[in-house]
Amino acid sequence: MIKDFFLPCLYAILASTGFCIIFNIRQPKRILFASLGGGLAWAIYLLAAPSGSDLFCYFAATIGLSVYAEVMARLFKCPATEFLLVALIPLVPGGGIYHTMEYCIQGDTAAFLETGLHTLGIAASLAVGILLVSSVVRLYRMVRLPKNH
Amino acid sequence: MDDQQLLDLAGDLGFALLKSGGEIYRVEESIRRIFLAYGRDTGDAFVIPSVIIVSFTTPQGRSYTKMLRVRGQTVDLEQVDRLNSLCRKICLHPMTPEQIRQELERIQQLPRYNLSWRIAAYAMVAFFFTLLFEGSWGDAVVAGVCGVATCIACGQMNRFHTNPFFVNTIASALIAAMALSSVALGMGAHYDRIIIGALMNLVPGVMITNFMRDIIAGDLLAGLIKLTESLLVATAIALGAGIVLTAARLLWGLG
Repeated sequence: MIKDFFLPCLYAILASTGFCIIFNIRQPKRILFASLGGGLAWAIYLLAAPSGSDLFCYFAATIGLSVYAEVMARLFKCPATEFLLVALIPLVPGGGIYHTMEYCIQGDTAAFLETGLHTLGIAASLAVGILLVSSVVRLYRMVRLPKNH
Repeated sequence: MDDQQLLDLAGDLGFALLKSGGEIYRVEESIRRIFLAYGRDTGDAFVIPSVIIVSFTTPQGRSYTKMLRVRGQTVDLEQVDRLNSLCRKICLHPMTPEQIRQELERIQQLPRYNLSWRIAAYAMVAFFFTLLFEGSWGDAVVAGVCGVATCIACGQMNRFHTNPFFVNTIASALIAAMALSSVALGMGAHYDRIIIGALMNLVPGVMITNFMRDIIAGDLLAGLIKLTESLLVATAIALGAGIVLTAARLLWGLG
């Protein structure tokens, strides 16, 4: 349990901390919470694994993460992107992109197409997750505060 | 505020926002809101990753338009946050042009992390991603060293404005060479995990997710540009690593 669940989440948190510095987030509090978001995303991803479909895992993790980022954005009064971009890094299909292009260079067209489509699918489920939450938040604000718009 | 000043300020704010990695919709909306705050409700903006066009018509019927060319985006979330707050402040209490210009310059001169911080960050990312991809501790240490090398190599090449495709190719070739030689020397166990972990510093993951976001949100042109860009970066990375892996296999029978 510790080895399969908590350790990977810890790695995800620390890897996200590295990206906080690369993306130039300066307040220590925001660095802390943005990194925790990365761990949260990975935890949801692992918890959703029994569903059997990895696209669903990515989708569920992105939904959880986007809600977290919106809440943090309200608390810290800053754009949600600040938390979203950093915490999304562990989910992002880096390995997929790399393998796709590797197959392309090796000339293995079948594997290239398969991995490429799967990578695009992952990117799409991340994007749909983010858009779903941000659209719902926008809609809620429009309905609740019609005066400001 | 006169019309020319309004046009320049809105353009410059959008430019700074896009340059520091703000999303397309955020840049367009910020510019539109500034025009609205100064009573130019015909004002609009067209933004793609390389170009900003801002335009509005005065009540007297004169049109003002300006085009700004954006080269080389970075991600600087601190600036995005500050510029976003500045834009909100302008919309709530319209300020004088001198005040806005001053604020804008102050924000653009904010410091970034220095080289040693960035090196540490690159090493950290490579180290923990290798562990996350189930590499051993030895693999992670090697990947951390690769991260340091990547950061220094990219920094040096960017100083001379080298073509980004070339920078990525060289950096990933460097990573693959270091990973292979460390495995040959017995320091790491899995060269593929070291390579993927260390490559997370270069891989255009955020770009590929953002391109999908833009396309689904309706910014089709911006999305296609980002897709092309991320495919180019991915090809460069795979090319660099591919050359080294193939050469090692053919020449020394490694890997």
